[in-house]
Amino acid sequence: MNAKKVSANVVAVFIAAFFAFPTYWMVTTALKPKKDLLSSDFDLIPSSVTNSNFVTAWTKPGFLQSLGNSLLVSLSAVVAALVIGLLAALALSRMRFRGRKGFVMLMLVAQMAPFEALLIPMFLMMRDLGLYQQLSSLILIYFAVTLPFCAWTLRGFVNGIPIELEEAAMVDGCGRWGAFRRVTLPLLGPGLVATSVFAFITAWNEFLFAKVMVRAEDKETLPVWLSGFQSAFGTDWGGAMAASALFTVPVLVFFLIVQRKMVTGVTAGAVKG
Amino acid sequence: MKGWRGLAVGAAALAVTVAGCGTSPSGTTAAESSGPKTLTVWLMDGSAPTTLTDALNKEFQDSNKDVTVKYEVQKWGGIQEKLTTALTSDTPPDVIELGNTQTPKFASEGTLLDLTGDAANLNGSEWLGGLKDSLTWENKQFGLPFYASNRTVLYRTDLFEAAGITAAPTSNDEWLAAIEKLKTANASNPDFQALYLPGQSWYTLLSFIWDQGGDVAKKDGDKFVGSLDSAQAKAGVDFYKKLVDASGTKAPKDTDEAKPQQMEVFGTGNVAMMIGLPWELGGAVKANPDLEKKTSAFPIPSKTAGKAAPVFLGGSNLAIPAGSKNVDLAKSYLKLLSSKKYQDQLGAAGTVPGTSKDTASLASNPVGKALAASSANGKVTPATPKWAAVEAGQNPLKDMLTAYLTGAKSLDQATGDANTALTALLGG
Amino acid sequence: MTAVETTDAAVPVRTSSPAPRRAVAGGARRRRGSAFDRLLPYLLLAPAVIGILWLIGFPVVSVVVTSFRKLDLGELVRGEVKWVGLDNYTKVLSDPRFWEITVRTVVFTAVVVATSVVVGLVIALLMRQLSTPIRILLQVCMLLAWAMPIIASTTVYQWIFDQQYGILNKILVKLGFDYAGHSWFSTGTATLSVIGLLIVWQAIPFLAFSLYAGVIGVPADLYEAAGIDGATAWQTFRAVTWPELKPLLMMVTFLSLLWDFKVFTQIWVFKEGGPSGGSTTLPVLQYLEGISQSHFGVAAAVSVLMVVILTLLTVSYLRKLLQTQEGKL
Repeated sequence: MNAKKVSANVVAVFIAAFFAFPTYWMVTTALKPKKDLLSSDFDLIPSSVTNSNFVTAWTKPGFLQSLGNSLLVSLSAVVAALVIGLLAALALSRMRFRGRKGFVMLMLVAQMAPFEALLIPMFLMMRDLGLYQQLSSLILIYFAVTLPFCAWTLRGFVNGIPIELEEAAMVDGCGRWGAFRRVTLPLLGPGLVATSVFAFITAWNEFLFAKVMVRAEDKETLPVWLSGFQSAFGTDWGGAMAASALFTVPVLVFFLIVQRKMVTGVTAGAVKG
Repeated sequence: MKGWRGLAVGAAALAVTVAGCGTSPSGTTAAESSGPKTLTVWLMDGSAPTTLTDALNKEFQDSNKDVTVKYEVQKWGGIQEKLTTALTSDTPPDVIELGNTQTPKFASEGTLLDLTGDAANLNGSEWLGGLKDSLTWENKQFGLPFYASNRTVLYRTDLFEAAGITAAPTSNDEWLAAIEKLKTANASNPDFQALYLPGQSWYTLLSFIWDQGGDVAKKDGDKFVGSLDSAQAKAGVDFYKKLVDASGTKAPKDTDEAKPQQMEVFGTGNVAMMIGLPWELGGAVKANPDLEKKTSAFPIPSKTAGKAAPVFLGGSNLAIPAGSKNVDLAKSYLKLLSSKKYQDQLGAAGTVPGTSKDTASLASNPVGKALAASSANGKVTPATPKWAAVEAGQNPLKDMLTAYLTGAKSLDQATGDANTALTALLGG
Repeated sequence: MTAVETTDAAVPVRTSSPAPRRAVAGGARRRRGSAFDRLLPYLLLAPAVIGILWLIGFPVVSVVVTSFRKLDLGELVRGEVKWVGLDNYTKVLSDPRFWEITVRTVVFTAVVVATSVVVGLVIALLMRQLSTPIRILLQVCMLLAWAMPIIASTTVYQWIFDQQYGILNKILVKLGFDYAGHSWFSTGTATLSVIGLLIVWQAIPFLAFSLYAGVIGVPADLYEAAGIDGATAWQTFRAVTWPELKPLLMMVTFLSLLWDFKVFTQIWVFKEGGPSGGSTTLPVLQYLEGISQSHFGVAAAVSVLMVVILTLLTVSYLRKLLQTQEGKL
């Protein structure tokens, strides 16, 4: 058993390295001085490092502002999509009622729409609602785009949790919602992690709609701000990479928070066994 | 099933409403009311220096009480989408800057205000010819020129000296000879490139095609058709290949000058010449301060000795969206911007002024001098709204160059295929 | 029968189910809260359905309607409505490139989806065997890959594969292969391979995380039982893991298919659908007709066709979904 674990761990480290390589490249580029960016030398490890790119990124006007905007928009959309999606998932998974298949199909079909194709109609809709140029238009759009996915995916995860567990809890005296809260929700933890991280990243990295819907500079989200490194005078790649690296930190934080609060899956075996 | 039926009825109702309401025109043009007004001005990133715009906005606000200028610098990324949506909103900006290759598209669709009657007021006689063509549609002017810039050959004076080249080349033959001299003098440096020329620098290709007397497209009735298959165009493409082969450039044949950024390659110090815009030189020096006093520029040579090849005038026009609510204010803003005072500042900043023929301020440094010398011979891409699609989509000129340079297609085949694609794009 | 659903066919396997079903308790509950119970599902679904119909339904219907109009920039700005019937569709379907592009899109999607799902599954199974710090390391590395902004990831990949300055060519040269100045983007297939690698790299994390969530949900006693019976790893996988995981696996494969089919930005940023249109897929075509050439009516037709093709591709999954008695898959 031990040898198996060791070899599994070794393989995992290699896989982790493969995934981390481009991130590594992004960070080392951010650390390289400008003139080392294009070098014929073998530059797997940077020959010299500087923090000037990070300083440029950090001090570039709008960083904190757009960070705040992105956080506001992404978190709002994610929370809304998760909560409403979970409610829908419960209904679709646990309950039997007329028209259920229709609703299931609706969740499915809603995900087939090509996102970019909806740009003009959604713009016109927001304009007519008077939300054009407001951040709330982005919240609504990201909510709309991640909701079917959340509902659908959470339904899949809820399906995977045996109903007997809930019923056992109810027999033991919990109400239906008590059973849900104490039994199903913790088991749903890992599923909620995957779903919420997906929704968050989708909103966090979205560029096209953010660019079009919001015009004012103080309402920019991070991806739009990031594109500002590409100026008419060429792109400051060192700065852009540094900014991108800074950009990923909140996502990492979000994941770690969500991961710690929700993963009680280790106990899943105990509960189910 | 009940669920489906309800959905179907709802969808039908939606369709009816959407067809009607979703595309309402961009607001009624109310009469301009009195009281404090805001003039929204969108200029593009990197166009006018901040000193200019600060002074301009201040002067305008000082001479127009109750008016605030809301000045926003727009980034080029995603601007097509942003302009499309902004112009269809109820509150479009009052003054916008459009790339000259984009202007015909917006002009022809009725999104811009006709300024023909105001041309005299806006220094009409001094307008840069090439830019004026780009904003003319059906004999009416839908904007005014802002500024232009064009490519020159940026080179390393120290490397030229070391190779024994005493004067900048003024003809294609001299140019090729200079390349040979540079190669010999730097044979020991494996990373050296006499001329860095990526495969898809199609703006540079335009110079060669025009120099030979050809063009990429010509007017046929009221449409444009490609003319890449003419003998002159082929000669231009062939000269491009001559340069690439003669210089032995290591630049990739399947990208343009932005990937990797040519100024950064120049900044490594191993490149003697590149064909680029003035700011690229600035960027190279910024990346490598050692190059500070060792650079200069000469106009792209022509096949005829002593002349400069025609160059593509990359530049911008200024326009007023048709839905603007502050038309008179916008016009007086533009009048101020097009006055000699500010046009001279544009020249000093290193670009060719759009509404002033006086390029003295530009010629204060060697690069500016080369710029001014070639801009007199400046041309633009076909002034058809369809051209915007060529630049925003898959550019047949780029594919043609790559195919020919890599040997994938013969000259006739490459130009022929590109011509068919181009004609389709311009006609469609 | 109560309004609460029973689970899938795996039930009989769970011999150690803790609570016997007691009809009495269920019956009592039904009598007490029946009206609320009947309404409850609809109440729970209402916010989601309203959100979807309003925010997605409207625009989607609008796109379908637009596909029957001539909508270029002028018509859009002036708010003109010009019906052209099936002209847009005819234009798209009669273009010889369309079929080439469709085949390319389908093949590309299939390869990318298969690779991501298989590798994601393998990683998910692997994660179960890891010691916690290593598992977290792997999860963090995958998360960083997943979260990298597209502008950064596409650029980094282009640099890595750059002809002259790319680290990949440099490494290959160091290892003795003659790859100096080798271009990875000389054909459409080569270009799509690199782009495919990028997409797979960014897609696997979600799949791995989700499948891992499913994997740890498999009751430990099932594995014990298999262990007692002396099953090998592969047999255990087939008998225990696979049936448990299959619904989730089908679902994430389906989702991957939808997303990978619609991928646009990465393909565009790399080579704008080149060289010579060699890496153009349906989403790229939609962009070319739409934002690029401002033929929004034609672009809408392309979108509708894309959805039709997607439906055809997933029809077997959709049909199975609707056929199973409780619509559960």
